[in-house]
Amino acid sequence: MTGETLKLKVAALADIAPGLRHVRLVAADGGKLPPAAAGAHVQLALAGAARTYRNAYSLVSRPGARDAWEIIVRRVPTSRGGSAYIHECLQVGEVLEAGWPGNLFAPVRTARRQLMIAGGIGITPFLSYLAEFAFSGVEHALHVCCRESEQQVFDPWLAGRPGVSWYWDADGHRLDIPALLAAQPAGTHLYLCGPAAMNEEVLAAAAAAGWPDTHVHCEHFGSALSGGEAFRAFLARSGVEVEVGEDESLLDAIERAGVNAPCLCRGGACGVCATPLLEGEAEHRDHFLSAEERAAGLLIMPCVSRARAGRLVLDL
Amino acid sequence: MMHSDIKSRPVYQPLVPDLAGGRHLLVVEGETLAAGRLEELAGVFAPVQARLHTWLAGAAAPLGGLGKLWQLESAADVVDALACASRGYGVGDRLYVQGTEPFLWSVATAAAVIGFGEKQVQLYHAGSLRRRVWCTHCHGMTEGVTTSIVACGGCGRHLLVRDHFSRRLGAFMGVMVDAEAPGEIPAIEEVFA
Amino acid sequence: MTIAFKPEETFRGDYTYRNSDAAVLRFPFPFPEDRYMYSVNIEPHVRSGPSDVFMRPFDVDEHYIAECRDKAITLERDPGRCQVLPHMMLAQWDTLELLMESLSADYPALFSLVKEGDDFGSRWTWTNRPLGLEQSFIFGDPATLPCEPFEYITRQAQGDFAICDQRDNNLYMDAGMVTSQADWSLEFDVGMSFMEWHGPVPLAHQTGVFERALKYLLMLRLGQPVRRLNWTMTINPRLDTSPENFPEWGTDRASVTPDNAGQKVHLRVELQTLWRLPRSNAILFPIRCYLASLDDLARVPKWGARLHRVLSSLPRELVEYKGLTRYLPAALEWLAQHDDGAELPVGTESGVTTLAPR
Repeated sequence: MTGETLKLKVAALADIAPGLRHVRLVAADGGKLPPAAAGAHVQLALAGAARTYRNAYSLVSRPGARDAWEIIVRRVPTSRGGSAYIHECLQVGEVLEAGWPGNLFAPVRTARRQLMIAGGIGITPFLSYLAEFAFSGVEHALHVCCRESEQQVFDPWLAGRPGVSWYWDADGHRLDIPALLAAQPAGTHLYLCGPAAMNEEVLAAAAAAGWPDTHVHCEHFGSALSGGEAFRAFLARSGVEVEVGEDESLLDAIERAGVNAPCLCRGGACGVCATPLLEGEAEHRDHFLSAEERAAGLLIMPCVSRARAGRLVLDL
Repeated sequence: MMHSDIKSRPVYQPLVPDLAGGRHLLVVEGETLAAGRLEELAGVFAPVQARLHTWLAGAAAPLGGLGKLWQLESAADVVDALACASRGYGVGDRLYVQGTEPFLWSVATAAAVIGFGEKQVQLYHAGSLRRRVWCTHCHGMTEGVTTSIVACGGCGRHLLVRDHFSRRLGAFMGVMVDAEAPGEIPAIEEVFA
Repeated sequence: MTIAFKPEETFRGDYTYRNSDAAVLRFPFPFPEDRYMYSVNIEPHVRSGPSDVFMRPFDVDEHYIAECRDKAITLERDPGRCQVLPHMMLAQWDTLELLMESLSADYPALFSLVKEGDDFGSRWTWTNRPLGLEQSFIFGDPATLPCEPFEYITRQAQGDFAICDQRDNNLYMDAGMVTSQADWSLEFDVGMSFMEWHGPVPLAHQTGVFERALKYLLMLRLGQPVRRLNWTMTINPRLDTSPENFPEWGTDRASVTPDNAGQKVHLRVELQTLWRLPRSNAILFPIRCYLASLDDLARVPKWGARLHRVLSSLPRELVEYKGLTRYLPAALEWLAQHDDGAELPVGTESGVTTLAPR
């Protein structure tokens, strides 16, 4: 069970509500997918008109499913373009490149009680949470804030699951967040996924009610190690100028140009690729350089770090 | 010997009420109360007095100013009382403990069982530096150790008392000191008074 | 590929453990340079590298049957060598799934796994031919196995296993099967955070090595396991050098002389790998132990000479920490006869394809 990228084939597409598209993905080679767990996401490469978008989506399939993965994508008119692509262009049978599943939102399994608050499409990570909690038997509750008309949309994933409550914007139907948070026993963990305004309101209420931040978990997508703005780097000793694309690392670009750079972990930990930085300002993303070394600005780890602005000159 | 290069050795801080907390529970081991310490604690906890409960283990009831006061006999009673309050505490509540190291970790472990997270708990070491020592060989505990090497109360082996500390056991690791050369026991020093 | 197992060899008592020539040649020698350097030395655990032991994610070698038997003896004497905290059940199934899938795919002549489905609730049948085991069970239902899933599968694997739960931006050692450890106690360490269980390691804390390693591991990705080599030395080919049994093996350290060091002193190399587990998001930490006597190692001229130089340059704190103090001088004296001082190529490769006769 090793690898970096997967080829996924679109097996089915369905519009389950206005602006909500359900996508079922299978392994393009007909084999099995790696298992993925509650809270996992998958990053898809979507070939837009101008460039390739890499968007992460929560898996809503049952935890551990290896026959197919499912995602639900909301159309965001102002987004980077990935969701527009899925809603307008994606076809059944199309093959997409994907990363292996990541998980930045795994439930804490030492919790005595699991409390979830979802806003709208923010329910997606909790569909797999509910399946896991039903299996493990841990005490749990999901509170969903959405439009009144949206309650039935997720029935295929929720049918028969206990512990789900619905709220919408009408008198007598709003979620009283402070009251909910004040009533939770020690050992409860809170998970939160929704629009920024709702997240902030809940986070503030939790802090006011004395919740330790270790017990409050808010979903965020994307790995700190992946891409960023494109930039250029000049390799002084080799006399080569490289273009670093937004979806590749500086190290990838150096290797693409045929310049030999020592490296080991490719994750910013081992220190092997530390390279003298002759000009330019680095955006350091590694775990290796100390705060002093970063401030001095004389070294960069090209496997993860990038240019903060403009061009870098490396002693390579 | 309160500071050590070994990172498993906990670092303790003075108790300060966390004003964000809901209810506050202060647990004090009586034998670690120096003269005037209760008055000092009453002052420190004055801002949360209305939401404060104080459990005194093995000490006479003193003045007021410590919220609702409850007297218990021993660490074992504190552990039992916490276990009975399995559903009694909330995520926003706070626990503060003053005592010897074995006392601190007995209480902290019992609190963890009923759901207290690390950030809800403050521990303050007071009183003697005597150590509870866990025998690596027979897994028995020897209490009140003040010397660098101690005979295990379980198996009798001479144990070198290391700084490696287990919060779960509330104890320091003891390893047979003469396992390589039986009978070669270095000078025993009084170090944890 | 066929493996000629040595089912009768022992790791205690009469110590009949021996490496074949092939086992010596594939030994994961850990020192690329003459001077000792402490580093995190983490690299991707891919199917390539200077030793054949890297060719499969979970290496099985000629000592498999004997090691599993030695593990069973240790567990019978001290069941506490296997510990799993209650919240680790998903990680237990993760471990079972990873090991059964890897072993059956890489060694189809030795192991097979037949599944009626991939989800929890499916019937699986596992066959382990070297140990003569066949087990049908329900994946996800511990009651259908003779013991809990983590213990069940790690009894059938060489080396130690720990599972680290990830929470609060930290790792906690919340499960382990530890029967061939280099002097650390699972009973004492279980439940500890990353910094706590590394507490006794000297020198490295001050340089921030563990802070960096922890940050890196928190980001470890599914499908991209990593590895590193660690090492120490052991007198006699003993797997169970636990602190629990230190009174049994401690005196061995005083038995080394310049004459017997070649047979008595063993380099003990741990191939440590780290795997993100898919269902639990925990990290599996297998610690596979390889033992070779100085006699074995000196049959590879580069390794004999290099080991002499590395051990000569070891900082005093590490000599203490690794427990070498009492016998290092004798081992160095023995090794000196295999070091002519000539320059050695960088790298851990043996540089030979056959060994001189013993």
